[in-house]
Amino acid sequence: MSIVECRGLTKTFGGKMALNHFSCSIEENTITGLIGRNGAGKTTFLKILAGYFQQTSGEVRVFSERPFNNLTVSANVLFIHDQLNLPTALTLQEILDTMAGFYKNWDREFAQRLFEYFSFRPSQYHNDLSKGMKSTFNMILGLAARTSLTIFDEPTTGMDAAVRSDFYRALLKDYIAYPRTIILSSHHLEEIENLIEDILLIKEGRELLHIPIADLKEWAIGFQGKTHVVKEWTQGREIIFSKSDVPDYLYVVVKNDFTEVELEKAKVAGISISHVSSSNLCVYLTSKTKGGIDDVFNKG
Amino acid sequence: MALNLDGTRPIYIQLSEWLENEILDGNFNSDQKIYSQYQLADIFNINPATAAKGLNILAEEQILYKKRGLGMFVAGNAKDMILSKRKNQTLKRLVQEIVMEAHRLNVSKQELITMIKEVNVEVEKE
Repeated sequence: MSIVECRGLTKTFGGKMALNHFSCSIEENTITGLIGRNGAGKTTFLKILAGYFQQTSGEVRVFSERPFNNLTVSANVLFIHDQLNLPTALTLQEILDTMAGFYKNWDREFAQRLFEYFSFRPSQYHNDLSKGMKSTFNMILGLAARTSLTIFDEPTTGMDAAVRSDFYRALLKDYIAYPRTIILSSHHLEEIENLIEDILLIKEGRELLHIPIADLKEWAIGFQGKTHVVKEWTQGREIIFSKSDVPDYLYVVVKNDFTEVELEKAKVAGISISHVSSSNLCVYLTSKTKGGIDDVFNKG
Repeated sequence: MALNLDGTRPIYIQLSEWLENEILDGNFNSDQKIYSQYQLADIFNINPATAAKGLNILAEEQILYKKRGLGMFVAGNAKDMILSKRKNQTLKRLVQEIVMEAHRLNVSKQELITMIKEVNVEVEKE
């Protein structure tokens, strides 16, 4: 069963398309990593799912319903992001106590244990927290609410390395105990790639790739060797990235539709074949130019 | 633990190899229940679907068998199957790489064989 379903979703802000005919379908009880560059449309997509605003055109369904102005969606989706508006007049403890009234699966004891583990004091106010502590507190809300769909938009902003890994561990353990649908957006694929089941790659408002993360590692392959040999072997293939640091040598990332036999032959021809790490592949796939930042310095 | 999580090799393949090692080392015997996907997810801090994929590779190769509602169990001849698989695939590939590197370095066949024998003596001493 799919929890999120969208077709041709488009959202424009002041003439700029934040989402441009975006389509996807997210299955129940999966953890999906939403990956894209700054301004790719990640947050816009998530806000539409959470019912924060309406799309300009296209279809979107969450639990088979339109999310905007929808009670079912509001009660069963929690959207955690770094601009979360929490009541400034309530202490952290009061906020935790209030959550139970809004979210039916709220686990008071679990929230309390996390609260103590991360050394919060009950009388503190959210506004007085540091950036990292705010993110940590928001994370507690997101985990303990156990909503059917939980969305974390860049949840680890400002967290130190130890808290980040604690957060991911807590998320995984609680997901194992209470399976639910989770969408996690991040710039850092390497941090979440072992945690997620599927990856949804977004570029310039469109979905680029939506596949199991396990398949991503085999989706592309790196060829390195003498330029003319590499060119010969990658001719007619879908080239994702190419780089020539050493003269006469070429490194090319291509879509991996080679057979085992072909790869063996390429090796014999003197090409060294390597896996491409998921995060590098995502950088290559989402980059706007083929040459990257170096293009700025090459005046031609 | 034993998995190289930041490496480029797929985690589920590393996981299935780790499970094979557990069986080879005798930590799991024939007809014994092996870890569930959720236990593996917890142990290695990975998504349960990835863990399931690692288990399923071994089930497809009949190194593990499924009992409905009870989980996965080690097949009777699991050890032999793993050993012959490793010999035919992993070892053969490693030998191929050694031979290719030897060619690149102009190491003669005799020289290579001598090197292997020397290493073998060292290993046997340990």
